[in-house]
Amino acid sequence: MENKIIEKQNMAPFVDNLINAEAEVIGPKRKDGKYAFDKLIETGELCLDYDTTLLPPKMYLFPPKETLIKFELGKEPEVEPVVEAKPLILFGVHPYDIKAIELLDVAFSTTNPDINYLSKREKAVIIGVDCLNPNPNAFCPSLGTATAETGFDLMLTDIGDSYVVAIGSSKGEQLLTKYAETREASQVELAQRNSERQKALARYKVTLNISPEELPQLLDKSWDSPWWKEKSEKCLSCGSCIVVCPTCFCFDVQDDVTLNLKEGERYRQWDGCMLVDFAAVAGGGNFRGDKESRFRHRMYRKGKYIWERYGKLGCVGCGRCASACLAEIASPAETFNRLKEESK
Amino acid sequence: MKAKLAFFDFTGCEGCQLEVLNFETELVELLNHVDIVNFREAKTESEDNYEIAFVEGSITRESEIPKLKKIRQQAKIVVALGACACLGGVNCLKNFRPMKENLRIVYGDAAKYYDTIPARPISSIVPVDYYVHGCPIDKKEFLKVTKALLLGKRPEIPNYPVCVECKLAGNVCTFDKGETCLGPVTRAGCNAICISNGRHCWGCRGPVDDPNTNSEKEILQKHGLTVEDILNQFRIFNGYLEVSK
Ligand code: SF4
Ligand code: SF4
Ligand code: SF4
Ligand code: SF4
Ligand code: SF4
Repeated sequence: MENKIIEKQNMAPFVDNLINAEAEVIGPKRKDGKYAFDKLIETGELCLDYDTTLLPPKMYLFPPKETLIKFELGKEPEVEPVVEAKPLILFGVHPYDIKAIELLDVAFSTTNPDINYLSKREKAVIIGVDCLNPNPNAFCPSLGTATAETGFDLMLTDIGDSYVVAIGSSKGEQLLTKYAETREASQVELAQRNSERQKALARYKVTLNISPEELPQLLDKSWDSPWWKEKSEKCLSCGSCIVVCPTCFCFDVQDDVTLNLKEGERYRQWDGCMLVDFAAVAGGGNFRGDKESRFRHRMYRKGKYIWERYGKLGCVGCGRCASACLAEIASPAETFNRLKEESK
Repeated sequence: MKAKLAFFDFTGCEGCQLEVLNFETELVELLNHVDIVNFREAKTESEDNYEIAFVEGSITRESEIPKLKKIRQQAKIVVALGACACLGGVNCLKNFRPMKENLRIVYGDAAKYYDTIPARPISSIVPVDYYVHGCPIDKKEFLKVTKALLLGKRPEIPNYPVCVECKLAGNVCTFDKGETCLGPVTRAGCNAICISNGRHCWGCRGPVDDPNTNSEKEILQKHGLTVEDILNQFRIFNGYLEVSK
């Protein structure tokens, strides 16, 4: 992989050029003491040293609410698919979120290709940045998601006076050539990048005491563990853990018809397994009518089902769920470590 | 044939009806499909011929009970409109004081001319088919429910907590700002409007079907509220419910 250097004083002009020229640029900005991805109006708003964002950048590829089709009723009903996609630059995406998007890429293209997601994805450029100030609930190193080798067009690492830029695609390379002042990276600077990444590893506070490959097996053995009931007792079924998760991709589809019954639209919105009515079926049944089975199901999704189905981890260790959960029960690391203890 | 709608109000501020009358364009569209017979009180004669009754306000006087029953008899569908009708609402704050004392506080020497009973939601007197929650109601939700009723469908009202919409709105949680919130046990549907505007949730939409109030109380306590504070929080809108007792 080719690597370049952008001096810090040249970063602002690069971002400004992107904002003015290419596409909508989305990046992490400050919000009430936290960070959130949002449209950048000017470079000054961009915070590349953030810990994590409230919501993951997936919301720009898979929006919380999205119209899928518009229809007109009548003798000959007309149905028109709605696919909205515009050029987008996601600037400052952390490696774990990049890994999560790689999972979504697979999930949304397996069996039934999801045209809405894939069209947006195709038009999106991802400019990553290494996470050097991890959030206290993150456990990326245990899952191999602290750094990424693929899934980005460019990847930045802050080495003090400058950023090392790894070029991940020709699209990324073109952007650099066109809009940034760069120079070749020296061996010393590449070594500095390694050492910054090493130092960051030491800043993570949570560790998984089991390798991710062993998780499906561990979960297989743990179906009847008392942990599920004990821990889920406090669950508020508030859905915070799934809304903030970069790897959750469940949605609910609904129709909205106008009052005159002439036209309407079908839309989807995020949904998830921690909500009471998620597994409710017509006729009044519910597959997972109690907190315990919903809580267990989510952990099985994260540690087993997704892995078995798509060959990628269902959790990237970002820690957002643990930060968002008021009941303090949502961290997969806590659950997996505890089950590992139990299985000894 | 156009469906006939009627509005009634019992004890409340009429804020909810104002909210309904507040959306001119949609109201005009709605009027193409319904006739609105806007009574302030239930008529006693039997010529009332509405099919859908929207009832605002809670029941706080003996004399309101037969009127409400009359409405139920006539209407095919009864919809509770707003926190007062759905939950009892803020009026229930008086339930925590003796009724005599309430009368004295409000009416002073004239107290003997009034009757008052503990405030209650209309569902404690008659069966209610649908609820439009909130204080005041959200006009979009009112339209959604009305539309569903006219189309003969069940309105889709969320049975998940405000937190879902709050997170979707990208808000920083009030607990992270050193404040507290009833969002985790309160029914969504308002797009977490209070939190998005820098306040917290008071629970005006009432609880979800199966709220985890024990967990919520624990969380509130962990964030510095006393049992008394917690009850006061719950009682603002949900005084009629067991959760706040
Ligand atoms: S685990 Fe936590 S965040 Fe998730 S639904 Fe339960 S209480 Fe909410
Ligand atoms: S489950 Fe939690 S830690 Fe894992 S990816 Fe989702 S939000 Fe992040
Ligand atoms: S619910 Fe609120 S706005 Fe509606 S009548 Fe009662 S007090 Fe007024
Ligand atoms: S502010 Fe209230 S509604 Fe929003 S996430 Fe926090 S507890 Fe839930
Ligand atoms: S946030 Fe809470 S108090 Fe505010 S409108 Fe919604 S339910 Fe009512």
